[in-house]
Amino acid sequence: MVEKKRYKLNRLETTRLIGPLVDRHWAELREAKERGEKVAWCSGPLFIFPYAMGMKCHFMAGYAAYCAGRKAGDQVLEAAEADGELMDTCSYHRLHTGMAAAILRGHPVKKEVILPIPDLLIIGRLCTEMAHYAEALHRRLGIPVVAVDFPPPRRKEDLPRLERFVVRQIKENLIPTLEKVCGKEFDEEGLRRILRVLKEAATIRNQCWEFFKLKPTPWTLWDYGVSIAPVFYMMGKPETVPYYKALLCELKERAEKKIPAADGEKYRLYWDGWLPWAFLGMFIRKFVSYGAVPICGRYPWEFFPHPEYIDPDADDVVQNWVELYYTKAQQAAVFMPEGALEEVTKLVEEYSIDGLVMFASRTCRAWNVGQQEIINEVERRLGVPGVVIEADMVDSRMVSEAQIETRLQALFETIDARRRRE
Amino acid sequence: MENPYRTVYEWKERTGKKVVGCYPMWLPEELVHAAGLLPVVVWRSDEPVTVGHAYVQTFNCGLTRSFVDDAVRGKLNFIDGFVIYRTCLQAQELPFILERHVRPAYLEYLYLPAIFPGNATKDFLIEELERFKASLEKFAGREISDDDLRRSIEIYNENRRLLRRFYEFRRKNPGILRAREVMAVVWSSMLVPKEEHSSWLRELLSELEGRHEELLKERRVKGDLKVVLTGALCQTPQFEILDMIEDLGMVVVDDDLYVGYKYFANDVELDGRRPLEALADRYLRRKPTCPTKGDWEMNWTDEVVDMVKRNDADGVISLLIKFCPPHLCYYPDIKRGLVQAGIPEVMIEVEHEIVSLEGVRTRLQSFAEALRRGA
Repeated sequence: MVEKKRYKLNRLETTRLIGPLVDRHWAELREAKERGEKVAWCSGPLFIFPYAMGMKCHFMAGYAAYCAGRKAGDQVLEAAEADGELMDTCSYHRLHTGMAAAILRGHPVKKEVILPIPDLLIIGRLCTEMAHYAEALHRRLGIPVVAVDFPPPRRKEDLPRLERFVVRQIKENLIPTLEKVCGKEFDEEGLRRILRVLKEAATIRNQCWEFFKLKPTPWTLWDYGVSIAPVFYMMGKPETVPYYKALLCELKERAEKKIPAADGEKYRLYWDGWLPWAFLGMFIRKFVSYGAVPICGRYPWEFFPHPEYIDPDADDVVQNWVELYYTKAQQAAVFMPEGALEEVTKLVEEYSIDGLVMFASRTCRAWNVGQQEIINEVERRLGVPGVVIEADMVDSRMVSEAQIETRLQALFETIDARRRRE
Repeated sequence: MENPYRTVYEWKERTGKKVVGCYPMWLPEELVHAAGLLPVVVWRSDEPVTVGHAYVQTFNCGLTRSFVDDAVRGKLNFIDGFVIYRTCLQAQELPFILERHVRPAYLEYLYLPAIFPGNATKDFLIEELERFKASLEKFAGREISDDDLRRSIEIYNENRRLLRRFYEFRRKNPGILRAREVMAVVWSSMLVPKEEHSSWLRELLSELEGRHEELLKERRVKGDLKVVLTGALCQTPQFEILDMIEDLGMVVVDDDLYVGYKYFANDVELDGRRPLEALADRYLRRKPTCPTKGDWEMNWTDEVVDMVKRNDADGVISLLIKFCPPHLCYYPDIKRGLVQAGIPEVMIEVEHEIVSLEGVRTRLQSFAEALRRGA
């Protein structure tokens, strides 16, 4: 039986600053139409383009995190089901169709999670289901759609041609549509401005990420998760750089004073898949009670691990953006099991990981592909065990605390047994 | 169709040729055929998934779970090659599993694009098909000439024409053919060489068409209600469900299933074009609707409504494969659209491991009763 204690979680001060920043983003989005601004809802890595045009945007997964933060997730999902959605459908999809149902048919949901009907739906088909939500909203609300197929690469030799395909679609479909919707020429300088800020923010963020290598770690993946907005949907905003500077400063201080994220760090965990937006508190309490700390994961790491490739002054700045996903930083590769296995192996080695927790969302499978085989292979390569936790990032009916507890105990017992043998 | 493994294996033994498993639903099998190989569409086994669950999530669809289970249990080792494409998210992990557990002599992963508007899509698709052709040539050890490909396309088109004639026969003569028989005819076309299938199908049609009056008198399905089936992407539903529909007095007159009308609805229109371009054009066609293709302008509901009207059907049975996201995401709109059109509909969730058929029976029974009441 693994030992369960009341370990203390030492919360970071800086992460408390994120709430007001995030709130401002969503408030601006809610009020955009009243100010006569154009609005887009986006899936996949394309929102930088409407941002460059001065549009207000939201991103599919970001909205889930926001609903979860407002404790409105289950309510919006209920609205979706009242409108005919089925429970096995992607929660991100249901959150959006639920919001649409609330608008169209008055299903009751909290006011702050109602967003204005957008002028444009933008599909970045990195995950095939990222297209379905826009298709459904187009059918129900008649909103125009523009789409870019964004296939994750299976092999390195596939990268150049996939990159050419994506660049062409952005230049031939996305940008002309944005110009039409906004009634002005594409603002290339706007794109460069965002990239300049993003490069700086992502560079500092990477310096913060390095602190995960310390034993014990001074911060957790959850801290990182709640700090994601500055390189994500708040991309390019000037306040994102000071946020990461403050975070870096606090982490340096913690490292000097040897303040750990959790007292008595015993198990360093790799976390795979979505962060469980609506259940962050429940999970971290469980982890910490065993002395376990989630350290790193390929999902949040996909956000610009190589800011050195961001070139705001590139001759072809669209090309430069797509290169981040394909030939240069290869960020799209982690969406295929082949790329994921390499990435997970690297993270496990670099961050001295003791065990893998593969979070398998029952409704959004974007990160699930190959998870079990990745566990098997990491075990073979590095002798590090892993477990799968089946749950959902938003839908509470699919989250069983008992199952989570059992799986975690099994993982910790395996780690303990191996330590005893060593 | 009792044992697809044996059907394919025996063909391979008999001919000494190589077999290539093609993932549903829109791979251009003609290219594989033109390379002198036998393309077969991969199928869902009728056994429960066991070992496979150590490699694939329990909440994947029946086809992916069953396919992985077969792969890791060695049941697919007699298949020489596989071609997978991004039908949906769940298909993305299959090459990873196959490469590690089946180690086929040939494995290709295609990036067939969503059919989004714009020239980039078609150009990329043709580039991808060119690449596929080259990799098949390398595996088969022979060049695929335009004439080879034209010949294969004609063989495939002929089979499609015959299958459409077969469906027309069912439409005009409801109750002669059982739904499971119709599905078995389409499914067998996915597993045996098209030339053999067409030859057999011509004989079957000749007999059916010659004796249709006599067969009508002794109709084996004696239902009083006419229904159409929609859905069941990528895989066959259990034949028992089809039997149950008929046992409850409903005659299946038409469908838009994958192992059904979707498979043969469109020919490859050669029209003097490069055959590869003609293959690309078939892929890019928006009808029949397929929710895996990313076409936001599609209107599946209208197609179902048309099918109901064309057949003067009483209702629609949606066969929704459990954990099939493309269908799940579309289904509420079909339901709503059919309600608006005043067409009764029931949805049956098709699970791979059916614990009990009684729940399905209850739903179908209630549906049949509602149809009889004119609800």
